[in-house]
Amino acid sequence: MASTLSRLGNWFNERAPGFMPMYRKHMTEYYAPKNFNLWYYFGSLALLVLVNQIVTGIFLTMNYKTSAAEAFNSVEYIMRDVEWGWLIRYMHSTGASLFFVVVFLHMFRGIMYGSFKKPRELVWILGMLIFLVLMAEAFMGYVLPWGNMSFWGAKVIISLFGTIPFIGDTLVQWIMGDYLPADSTLNRFFALHVIALPLVLLLLVVLHLAALHEVGSNNPDGVDVKHGPKGNRWSPDKPKDAIPFHPYYTVKDSFGVGFFLMIAAFIIFFAPTFGGWFLEHDNFTPANNLVTPSHIKPSWYFTPFYAILRMIPSFFGTAIWGVIGMFGAILLLALLPWLDQGAVRSVRYRGMGYRIALGVLVVSFLALGLVGAGVTAELIPAWFPGADVTTVENAFGRLMVLGYFGFFVFVWIYTRFGFEKTKPVPERVTMHD
Amino acid sequence: MANEEVVDHGRRRFLTTTTAVVGGVGVVAAIVPFIKSWEPSARAKAAGAPVTVDISAIDAGQKVTFAWRSLPVFVVNRTPAQLAQLKGLAPRLLDPDSSDTAQQPDFAKNETRSIKPEWLVIIGLCTHLGCVPDFVPDIKPEPFDANWKGGFYCPCHKSRYDLSGRVFSGVPAPKNLAVPKYHFIDDTHIQIGVDPEGKS
Amino acid sequence: MIKRYLSSLALALGLAVAAAPALAAEDGEDLPPSGANVYDQASLQRGARLFFNYCVGCHSLKYVRYSRLAADLGLSEDEVMKNLNFTGAKFGETVVSHMPAEDAKGWFGKEPPDLTLEARAKGSDFIYNYLNSFYLDPSRPVGWNNTVFPNASMPNPLWELQGLQVAVHPEGKAGADAPVEKLELHTKGSMSPEEFQAATRDLTAFLEYTAEPAALERQSIGVWVLLFLAGLTFLLYLLKHEYWKDVHEHH
Repeated sequence: MASTLSRLGNWFNERAPGFMPMYRKHMTEYYAPKNFNLWYYFGSLALLVLVNQIVTGIFLTMNYKTSAAEAFNSVEYIMRDVEWGWLIRYMHSTGASLFFVVVFLHMFRGIMYGSFKKPRELVWILGMLIFLVLMAEAFMGYVLPWGNMSFWGAKVIISLFGTIPFIGDTLVQWIMGDYLPADSTLNRFFALHVIALPLVLLLLVVLHLAALHEVGSNNPDGVDVKHGPKGNRWSPDKPKDAIPFHPYYTVKDSFGVGFFLMIAAFIIFFAPTFGGWFLEHDNFTPANNLVTPSHIKPSWYFTPFYAILRMIPSFFGTAIWGVIGMFGAILLLALLPWLDQGAVRSVRYRGMGYRIALGVLVVSFLALGLVGAGVTAELIPAWFPGADVTTVENAFGRLMVLGYFGFFVFVWIYTRFGFEKTKPVPERVTMHD
Repeated sequence: MANEEVVDHGRRRFLTTTTAVVGGVGVVAAIVPFIKSWEPSARAKAAGAPVTVDISAIDAGQKVTFAWRSLPVFVVNRTPAQLAQLKGLAPRLLDPDSSDTAQQPDFAKNETRSIKPEWLVIIGLCTHLGCVPDFVPDIKPEPFDANWKGGFYCPCHKSRYDLSGRVFSGVPAPKNLAVPKYHFIDDTHIQIGVDPEGKS
Repeated sequence: MIKRYLSSLALALGLAVAAAPALAAEDGEDLPPSGANVYDQASLQRGARLFFNYCVGCHSLKYVRYSRLAADLGLSEDEVMKNLNFTGAKFGETVVSHMPAEDAKGWFGKEPPDLTLEARAKGSDFIYNYLNSFYLDPSRPVGWNNTVFPNASMPNPLWELQGLQVAVHPEGKAGADAPVEKLELHTKGSMSPEEFQAATRDLTAFLEYTAEPAALERQSIGVWVLLFLAGLTFLLYLLKHEYWKDVHEHH
């Protein structure tokens, strides 16, 4: 048995001599800092969710009908007539939301520990591209069930392009291929959602990982393990504070996967709509071009950006400022490696000003999410009886927009002009358990 | 350098194997719903449900085709003259006694291959490559058979069957035409897809 | 190690708790709870009987097959075909009302909507309260109005059971535009108010079932999946702990 296996291995190595070194480079001889904490689970989890989306997505296409007349019915057909179709569909819809949960936390980890800083700018930029493609992918997937929220979501998001001066109206019609979201829109979104964007996404993920493995992972201390002492029990010339990815991080990430799957399974089996956040009530009504749902809002993962769009008023006769603000919010994130010029990576050793600013960023982002989802509009009458809801909401929302953009402005000034008083960074990584 | 002896290899191997096996069971269990999703859906099953057809308008010597599970089902009202030909044909047939049990339910394992002698209920798909045979009922010489006693003729590869759907020797088709499950609800209605005992 | 996982668990629980009020807020309207129980098979059977006696004349359940109803509600084919199926549809077919769409538009101003997904689109509480909130309103085209869904174009289909309700307006106000303070039973129906509430609760449970038939099986499967995953995660924890001894002793 063993000799058969080794003979097979030899056979393979002779014909593909590059594969084993590649496996070693990325697994057994990829040395990662040994002090990863909870925040470092989300990268591998994002990969897991991506696989889930691809597999369940492929099976959904086997019964989904790409036409405005049939799409809604075919989703209910999957939910009822196809054996286990409901499970496959819930795995896909829950996976979509959890993808964003995981990716948001993964991004926040990068900001918190300065993982975007030199020499990992390329990793960060590729990650931001993944995020952009993921948003496009999610939006188009959201349109496919052709419920009333799908329809009006498509209408509103596509209309954003209408604010672009001169070409806006033509562009909107070109994207839809009609005068309203219609059969042609659904068909092209389907093509993009199931093949074009997933291919781009996979390519970007491979590049993101390849770029990471070139420079090595950062860690919660932001310490460069490569520049520290050498020699560990696995290799005499590898960093002392690093451990082989396999088996140590494969078993650790597997444990994370187990824990994550429990949360995912709980949602899939016990709360698949998640109270209307993952699958919205109004999307169980077929698309109707004559009736807009009364609570129109995007999926929860778009709400912070949607709130920025809504909170920025139009002036000079155009609504493009909100659109610029919304895309600017993402662009600023991508530019973070150049805005943040502080020498210290990890928040653990950064100045008090940075820590407070980071807190403001998180609070503003979450608060904008609530504004975008319409939660604040519901809470304001209870908290401020008699107040004008729009006035209070706009004041609050604009404050939060200020908080979000303020973070980037503050960090640039704070680090560019030497205001930051950092703490001493330890020579070696620290373990906290 | 840590001491290699500290590592409990037995425990590691045991835990790795146990986790791999349990994880493998989980993966297999997760695959099952995906495999099962390929089975006929509730809609396909509903479309394939037994169908009840009215045969009162089929005159003697006539054939009418009904659809059951998308298959063409021939119902033929055979005349006494046509039935009289069946016995004499036996030497020219491949399986005159319907001994291939897969081709008909037990109730049709007789010379007329039917419940009531005059009523032939049969799936109209040639057992060679699945073409729909022509119904050629008249007892008269035909271009493909000078001694024709009435039956079915497949235009694709010239297979011939008698009026009980029994295949002739020396033609490409290897088996008699299949008889579906069916039963008489009353004298003018039959239900296709259900045995006379009521089992579907 | 353990401490960190406990803290992560606490974080997850904290997020769940923090999300709870937001989740509750999502349902919006402050309607009294329906109390419908989709896992009560007897209630579903009674609800089905009500639906097929009073609703199917106008409303379809176009995604619901009679055969699936029989299987999920614990009824035989004969029971479903005799007691519930009045349209002559086959056992495997879906529940489609025979009302011609054009006639309906003429009578009610619009086509009666399909109700299969009503409970998912509007919520069970809405359905239950809607069914209990019809009142006579001569100013409306069909003579009925509803406090939960004002100016609904539908008459009360269950009036024989409930009786006739009328609106009570606050002192000094009257007429079609006056606010409704409460509803009062004007003429008794064949059921007492309590019986009628129970009946509408059954009907609500039935519509909750039609909106998501998978709900009946999903939770019981979910329990096993979670138990399995808990075991697997525990094993993975032991495995991780075992391998990481290398890292920790080294440290």
